[in-house]
Amino acid sequence: MKKYLLSGLSALAFFASFTLAAQTPSDAIMMKKNEACFALIYDHGAWDHYWEGADLRVNGNVGTLTRVTVMPMLAYGITNNLNLLVGTPYVKTHASGGQMAGVHGFQDLSLSLKYRFVNKDFDNGKLEAFVTTAFSTPMTNYLSDYLPFSLGLGTNEFTLRGIIQYKLKNGFYVRAAAAYLWRGQTEVERDYYYNNGSYYTTFMDVPNALNYHGAIGVRLLENNLKLEATYVGLNSTSGDDIRRYNSAQPTNKVEFNQVGFSAQYYFKKPLKGLGLLAYYSQMISGRNMGQFSNIGAGATYQVQLKNKKS
Amino acid sequence: MKRKNILFIVFAAGMFIINSCENELPRQASFSSYEFTGLDADAGTWKPILLANSTQIDVEVPSDVSSPAYQAELAALKSTASNLSGSQRDAVEYWTNNPIVRWNEIALEIAVKYNLIPGPNPDGTYTLPNPATPEGPPPFPFAHPPYTCRLLAYLSVAQFDGLITAWHYKYVYNRPSPSTVDASIPSAYVKNDLPSYPSDGAVIAAVSKDILTAMFPLEKDYIAKKAEEHLNSLIWAGANVPSDIEAGKFIGSEVTKIALARAAADGMKKAQTPKAQSDSIKSAAFARFGWQWDNLETPVRPVGLVPFFGKVKMWNVPTVEEVRPIAPPAPGTPEFEVNAKELKDYSKNLTENQRKIANWWSDGFNTYTPPGHWNRFAKNFIIQYKFNPIRSARTFAYMNMAIMDAGISCWDAKYYYHYPRPIQTIPGFKTILGTPNFPSYTSGHSTFSAAAASVLSYIFPNETNQCNAWAEEAAMSRVYGGIHYRFDAEVGLDQGKKVAKYTVDKAKLDGAD
Repeated sequence: MKKYLLSGLSALAFFASFTLAAQTPSDAIMMKKNEACFALIYDHGAWDHYWEGADLRVNGNVGTLTRVTVMPMLAYGITNNLNLLVGTPYVKTHASGGQMAGVHGFQDLSLSLKYRFVNKDFDNGKLEAFVTTAFSTPMTNYLSDYLPFSLGLGTNEFTLRGIIQYKLKNGFYVRAAAAYLWRGQTEVERDYYYNNGSYYTTFMDVPNALNYHGAIGVRLLENNLKLEATYVGLNSTSGDDIRRYNSAQPTNKVEFNQVGFSAQYYFKKPLKGLGLLAYYSQMISGRNMGQFSNIGAGATYQVQLKNKKS
Repeated sequence: MKRKNILFIVFAAGMFIINSCENELPRQASFSSYEFTGLDADAGTWKPILLANSTQIDVEVPSDVSSPAYQAELAALKSTASNLSGSQRDAVEYWTNNPIVRWNEIALEIAVKYNLIPGPNPDGTYTLPNPATPEGPPPFPFAHPPYTCRLLAYLSVAQFDGLITAWHYKYVYNRPSPSTVDASIPSAYVKNDLPSYPSDGAVIAAVSKDILTAMFPLEKDYIAKKAEEHLNSLIWAGANVPSDIEAGKFIGSEVTKIALARAAADGMKKAQTPKAQSDSIKSAAFARFGWQWDNLETPVRPVGLVPFFGKVKMWNVPTVEEVRPIAPPAPGTPEFEVNAKELKDYSKNLTENQRKIANWWSDGFNTYTPPGHWNRFAKNFIIQYKFNPIRSARTFAYMNMAIMDAGISCWDAKYYYHYPRPIQTIPGFKTILGTPNFPSYTSGHSTFSAAAASVLSYIFPNETNQCNAWAEEAAMSRVYGGIHYRFDAEVGLDQGKKVAKYTVDKAKLDGAD
């Protein structure tokens, strides 16, 4: 049947932890029972402007900040309506200006369960609805308090997401998703910090966030090519602004709106099971983060692990 | 159904993991009113720092406790202190019977707020904060380490001199505390026999308000609000009647005038030199040694941070030259290369613990700086050893004088030697800490820390090992961070100790031991 695997990882961003984990759980693709999909994605994100609070500015001592992510991922059909997703990105950061050292390493391990609770055919199409839960936790002892170079937010994150998609028989579809992201605290390496006042502790509260996705897409060439235009939004529910000409910190109120485009192609025999994807995305507004442009490419391989007909 | 249960369990487990890891995030030192280890009844005889003696400020004789005037004050106090609102009770609990601690925390917090370096203008120039137009942009001040060490020194010296004066009159006039006069008056704090006139709390509030307002003009209203709450809390706590407080405020305001007069003439105004002067300092160093430090930021900052801070008047060292360290090894010499190689090795193979030390002590922008870090240690010792306010003020005063003297000496060395930073001498060198806008030799962290550790070791001898370990760690943190050579750190430690000896020798003779 349909072999639509990963939609474009369009939201790979400044704080990649949520976006990387979230993107697949936010699409409407399901593995059938005992089907598995392996994916490897390469993402190149860069910015030369960033939002200090709401002000877009440059910093000659950062120049262009580059963030390269390699993301291995696995999706597995526990049943036709319940999928497990696992992924962990390897991230490398680097600045073209200044003398600050970039960092690299594995970021967070994320585990998601996606459950389809509506799968209803209509005369002209099909309605599907899903709920996903995701949990992510740092894989390594990376330092979150080293922005803008940090690999991630350095905290546990739990996501609850609802997704709804309507697919027309002519190949067009629309999809919307909304999620709430609960973040815990991150332990930093200093025991005093300023967040509109003094904090005498090594722990920082990382703000929770709301995350939205929207997509309009079409499947062409007998379902083997998928083209999709995407929107991703994120709004922290609390947090402070980056202070004047100062570094960001994990307590900041991060917001962004991002648009993107992705294409995915699934090969026929004899390469059946193999897929390729490519995408581009651009942040159009934001707060307390870099104005990322991301370009990425990846390969997916889908395989039936046992009893083909469930 | 079963699947829904699975999702529910996953959800519950996720929420549990997120919430169970939540730690409390303290905003201030957690302590309550405590019994002082002693009252220091003879502290009126201690030698002040700025005042000639404890009678230089003349405090009038208070009305007798049997007088109608005092009895009226007492009756009003009794009525107020017996009917406190929740917020009044909170204020009493917050300020405690050692408000020196709270004012130190307030000073540090404001310093953090103002510790942001001015960024470049769109045309690549930089505008410096100007005390004549404090609103800026950029706002005045930029509370960098020299600024912060100086404000802490004036704050604690004025508090200390004010309290010596207060202690003198307390035991001359011997007016008992309200709850001693009338046992039915509730006393919020641990009871003691310290005479109540003039109010020590009011001295501290008045000094702190005036010094901090002078140092942070834009915080005038915030500071005034804090001071007002503090003064009111003395009544709410049943600690002082209004005439005790008025006398304390008078001492505070008089001693602050003297402290601010010294500050106005200590040379700080000229510390941030214009570019022409800064360039001539640089070329003098190049002529003398054959090297010079350059700012490597984009866009380049035309002047380093306070090149003439080394010329500011010291507290306890007669001349800055007598504590100036020997010259560092010239770049390119074998000794230099050994030090440079060490930095390159750390940058390739820094352990997690070394990284942690570098960050723990980073104390850069948006922090209370190394002087503030040591004030925090002093504060914790003061609470742990249950010091009374005058012992607390003495601790901060001597420590902060030594820290400021260390800063002056360090800055003298920095701009006399004008030694380049590792990012300048080692091609392609990258660091995990930002390189500051001033020369390398000697390390400010090391000099400040060694000086602070010397004074704290003198006052808290049982903590000597801890203080020395902290100072050495602070010094090495800059090497791990890639912004100082080991010789910057080691010579800086030695320099800080030498500078602090002048202060400790003076403290030993002030009559408090």
